[in-house]
Order: sequence, then C-alpha cells, then structure tokens
Amino acid sequence: MAKPAEHAIEVENLTKRYGGLLAVNGISFKVRKGEVFAFLGPNGAGKTTTVEIIDMIRTPTSGKVRLLGMDVTKKKRAIVPRIGVLPQDFSSFDRITVRETMQYYSRLFSRANADIDGLIELVNLKDKAKEQYKNLSGGLKQRLGIAIALVNDPEVVFLDEPTTGLDPRARREVWEVLLGLKKKGKTLFLTTHYMEEAEILADTVAIISKGTIIATGSPAQLIENHTNYLVLTLQSVDANAFEILRKMGFEPVRDNHQDLKVRVEHPEDILKTLNAIKDVGGSFLSLDVRRPNLEEVFLKLTGEALHADPAEGGEVG
Amino acid sequence: MKLRVVNANLVVKLKTFYRERTAMFFTIAFPIILILVFGTIFLERDTLSLDLYIQDLDHTHASAQFVKALQINGNFKIIEVDPASDAREYAKNHRLNLILVIPKDFENLLNQRVDLKAPDASVILTYIYDPSSTSVKTKMEYLNMEFAGMNQRMSGKPPFYRCEETSILNRKYRFIEFFIPGVIAMAVMTASLFGTVNLNTELLQKGIIRKLSTTPITRTDWILSNILYQFALAIISTIAMLLVSYGVFHIDLHINLWLLVFLLLDVFAFVGIGMILTRFVQEAQSAAAAANAITFPMMFLAGSFFPIEMMPGFLQTFAGLLPLYYVNEGLRASMIFGDNMAALRYAAIIGVFAAVVFALGIIATRWEEGK
Repeated sequence: MAKPAEHAIEVENLTKRYGGLLAVNGISFKVRKGEVFAFLGPNGAGKTTTVEIIDMIRTPTSGKVRLLGMDVTKKKRAIVPRIGVLPQDFSSFDRITVRETMQYYSRLFSRANADIDGLIELVNLKDKAKEQYKNLSGGLKQRLGIAIALVNDPEVVFLDEPTTGLDPRARREVWEVLLGLKKKGKTLFLTTHYMEEAEILADTVAIISKGTIIATGSPAQLIENHTNYLVLTLQSVDANAFEILRKMGFEPVRDNHQDLKVRVEHPEDILKTLNAIKDVGGSFLSLDVRRPNLEEVFLKLTGEALHADPAEGGEVG
Repeated sequence: MKLRVVNANLVVKLKTFYRERTAMFFTIAFPIILILVFGTIFLERDTLSLDLYIQDLDHTHASAQFVKALQINGNFKIIEVDPASDAREYAKNHRLNLILVIPKDFENLLNQRVDLKAPDASVILTYIYDPSSTSVKTKMEYLNMEFAGMNQRMSGKPPFYRCEETSILNRKYRFIEFFIPGVIAMAVMTASLFGTVNLNTELLQKGIIRKLSTTPITRTDWILSNILYQFALAIISTIAMLLVSYGVFHIDLHINLWLLVFLLLDVFAFVGIGMILTRFVQEAQSAAAAANAITFPMMFLAGSFFPIEMMPGFLQTFAGLLPLYYVNEGLRASMIFGDNMAALRYAAIIGVFAAVVFALGIIATRWEEGK
C-alpha cells in the first residue's frame, strides 16, 4: 500500500508563460498537510497564476505540480472533490439565496449530506440564509464564497486574495473564519498582498515577486533572517527632530500620520536618539519600538512596496 | 454526464428566470403581445369591410337599390354624404380618401338602358379621391370589380370565362394561423440566442465559470443543462402563446409531435450560435449587439411575420439561407397543412444545421482558462 503523501502540495520548477510574458518563473515549494501557507506579493507578482495552476483553473507551461500526491494535469477528476476553492473576485448567481447557493454547490459535489446549516453558521450568515446573493455586502459575499469552498469538506482549501476589496472590519471577520478553519486542521493555501493577513494566519509565508519566490519561512523566521534592526516611531514630534536624526546618521521618514519613523540597529541607539531630541528641548507625545514586519522584509528584499494601503502607513527608510 | 448536476443547474436557472421579471417579460409576455397586436390588426383583414362614402345626388328608388347592392355584394360599410354639400370640399374637410358620387339622372339613364329606349346609355359614377392615400387604390379596385360584375349581369348573357376554386388544403386558413407558427419560431430563437449569450457572458465576466471549473461539473453537464433550460422555456412560452391564441382568436392548428421536434431543433440551432458568439464576443454588451444583428434581419427576412413570396426574388433566395426560415416553414407544414413529408424535409435541413453549429458551439465553449 502506497504511503500517504506528507505534503498536500508539491510544486517543482513551475513556469507559466503568456506569449512573451513570463508570469511564473520556475518556482518550487512544498506545503505540508494541515499547514496554512501564504503566498505574499504585490499585484502582478504571479500569485493568482500559481494558485490557479495548482487548483487546476489554468494549465502550466512547464514544471510539475502534485496536489494530494496526484499530478494536477492528469488527475483533475480525482482531485477536484478533495479540494475547495475561493477564486479571486468570487461571484455567484445574483438571484439565488445563500442557502440555495450552498445547496447548489453541494449537489455539484454530490454531497447529499453536506452540513449546509453548519457551514452557514460557521461563516456567520445564518440571518442572511434567505437573502439573494445580489443583496449581500462585499464581506458577506466573500464569507459565502468561503462556505462554498468548504461544502465538500475538502482536505485543501485555496483562498485567492480572500479579503481584497473589503473594509477593515469585514476583513477581520473573514480572518476569524479562516482562523477557525486553521483550528480544524485544514490545509489552507492563501494568496494575499496584505502582510498583516499573512502574519496573522500563515504558518509559512512565501514571498513572491515578478514570478519568482524570493524568500520562504514562518513570518518570524523571515523577519529574523532578513532584518537586523528595530523600528522606532515617535508621535507628534517637533519639526527639528527630523534634522537632528539625519545629522546623527539615521534615515528618518514621516508616515501618513506625520509620525516619525526611524530604523535603529542597536537598542542603545534608541536612548541616544531620545536624548538628542531632549537636548535641543524637543518633545513627542508617545513612542513605540517594534520589530520590523513582513512589509518591511518585502521592501528590503525587493526594493519595492508590497502594498499601498493608506490606512497601513508608509515605509521605513 | 451526471444527472444530479444537470438537474441542479436546471433548478438554479429556472429560479433565476422566475425571479428575473425582465427575462420573464421578453420570453413570455412579449410574444403574446405581438400575437395580440398583429392578430387584432389582421383579424380585420380576414373579415374585410371597407368604409364607403356615397353622395347620392339622384335620391331615387334605383339609386337606393344600387347602394344596397354595393353594401351587400361588395361588403362595404356605406356612409351617406349630404347631397347638398360639395363632395370635393367634404372629402378634404373630413380627410376622406374616397367619395363615390351617384349623378342626378341615375334612375332615368338606367331605365332608358333597361327598357332599350337607349341601349347605349351609360351613367358616369364619379370617384372623388385622395391620390396620396395608400389604401384608396385598393378600395377603387374593389369598386371597379363590383361594377364589372353588375355590368356583366345587366348584359343578360352568362360570362364566357368562369373560374372554379379548388383548394389544396382541407380548409381555408386565416392570417393569424399563418402568423402563430412564425411567432413561436421567432420567440424561441430570440430566447435561446439571447439567453445563451447573456448567461455565458455574464457568468464569464463575473468569474462564475472559473469557480464552476473547480467543481465536478463538466462542460458537457453545463451545456446540457443550458439546452434543457432553454427547451423548458421554449415549451412554457409556446404553451402560453397557444393558449392566448386559442382563447382570443380561436385558431385551428394541428398540435402534434412535430411542434416539439421543431422547438428542440430551434433551441439547439440558436443555443449553438449563442455559444459560438460568446467565444468571439465576450463583453456582454457587444455580445448582445451581435445577437441582435443576427436575430433582427432573420425575424423579417425568414418569413416569420409574412410570407416570403411577398419579398423580391433575391430576398427570397436569401431567406433560404436562414435557419429560422426552415423552422417557420416546418412549423407551418405541420401545424397548418398537416404535411408530414414537408415537415420531415424541413426538420432534416434545420437538424443538420443545428447539429453542425451545436458541435461548433461545444468546441467554442471555454471551460478552463488559458492553456
């Protein structure tokens, strides 16, 4: 008897070419069963192309992809009933209600005993069960999309940018649902350009840029391996503090809230910085010292911003 | 092919149709309105009765008899014009296209002719008419025919040329009975083509096809469910049209298996064309415009509303190239004439066409995205 595969997904030297455009450039990675794996990268990096090849919406130009131990180009029929997919920009039939939509997809999977009520409850749509799809808000639609992706009780769930276009509250509601799935031990493959999403949800993050994976590891490992500084943020700081810090050899930047951010390599530099501001009679409302996040890791690795969401602030210089 | 999957799709499509009032209107109500409007207009033609204004300047027993003869034999509805008025002015003021004027000495001249006092005597009846009217010529031709008949009878000799009518049909059919099969064919064509184009472009644009491609449903299941859905709509719409036609116009048509055969072939042919169109025109608006470009000329040139014999020769040849023509003719052959051989011939032609475009449509339908 064949030994069950340890990895849910195995990708080897995967390439996808659209005419002259190389969308995915020979990438390789593995996703363990029960793991939450996030593909992090900006728009156009090759995230969706990769996930759509793995979940068999697209075909690869070259390379091998094994899903649940089977070749995706040859075993689609055997694989499809065992996976769930929330495609990018998910949409459904406008005039069909939430419950009817769930029933429809359960019939497609020949799941007569699908726990439709349980899934509707899982994504918190119980009071919207009789609502037609067209009347749902963006967040509710995404939650329905997730419930549909789970209707066949899949072993691997693919979620392509599950929170793009949602407001912060709706985004957090979706995260709650995904964290619930994580607790249930589902293998989740997630693509996102929100670093916070990857940090909160993922066990492993692969950073992708221009069709190539440039770093892989847990969020903590990536930060540990690719950054060696702390980020000091000063709120409501005096105008001349900016010049003082520049003269000290730092590279301060002001973010969208006019807070001053500066990278410091040694903890003692924090004290030096504060003293220098104090010496010229400067003041600030509050300060915050934290480790860098994935956004900053991405910036360091690629030299470009991951995501331009004004609500999430600017980059540290 | 999985029946459970096909059934699930069918249910979703029928529910969507039921909840979409615009689709309901164009599929069911619109053809019925067409039938009611055209049926009412042409009902008049079937029982033609023309208004005829007559100014009787003679006002004698003979002239009254003459008017009565016109009323009975010519099926005219007679309206008298005051002899004191100026007929030309009267016609102008009352926007009449024709007034027939009986001269003052009508009875006198008639008696002279009948009593052989003046065997060559004749009476001049005057047409006061509006040459810009499109229908006045028809009315004058009817009157001329009536007068020719009266002259012939007055000669006292039987006519030399006589005609006898032998219909190839068991009974005379009315225009509405010609019209109904054409509207059925046209309505099913429109619903099948637009239904397929609208559904496919909408689902492609919204990404629903992409989601479906990650489920066990296959392209065959999807296409089959679409065909069944369109066929179900065709049956519903046809039943509604026939019920109204029977109820309002008391039509007399043969309803048999051929009706189902032609509905199915109509659906296959135009769903096939719709699938091919969707492949090449994927924007919903452009696809709808392309579908219009196909259906609109076909409605008028394929003999849906009037016989193609009324069209110039080259257009009649062109009609023979249109698939809807064969559905129209096939439905008429079976529903009006009960001619099974003709129905079979038309069914074979549209059947081959439907098979070819449907096969091309299946090939053209994309299920997985870029290769």
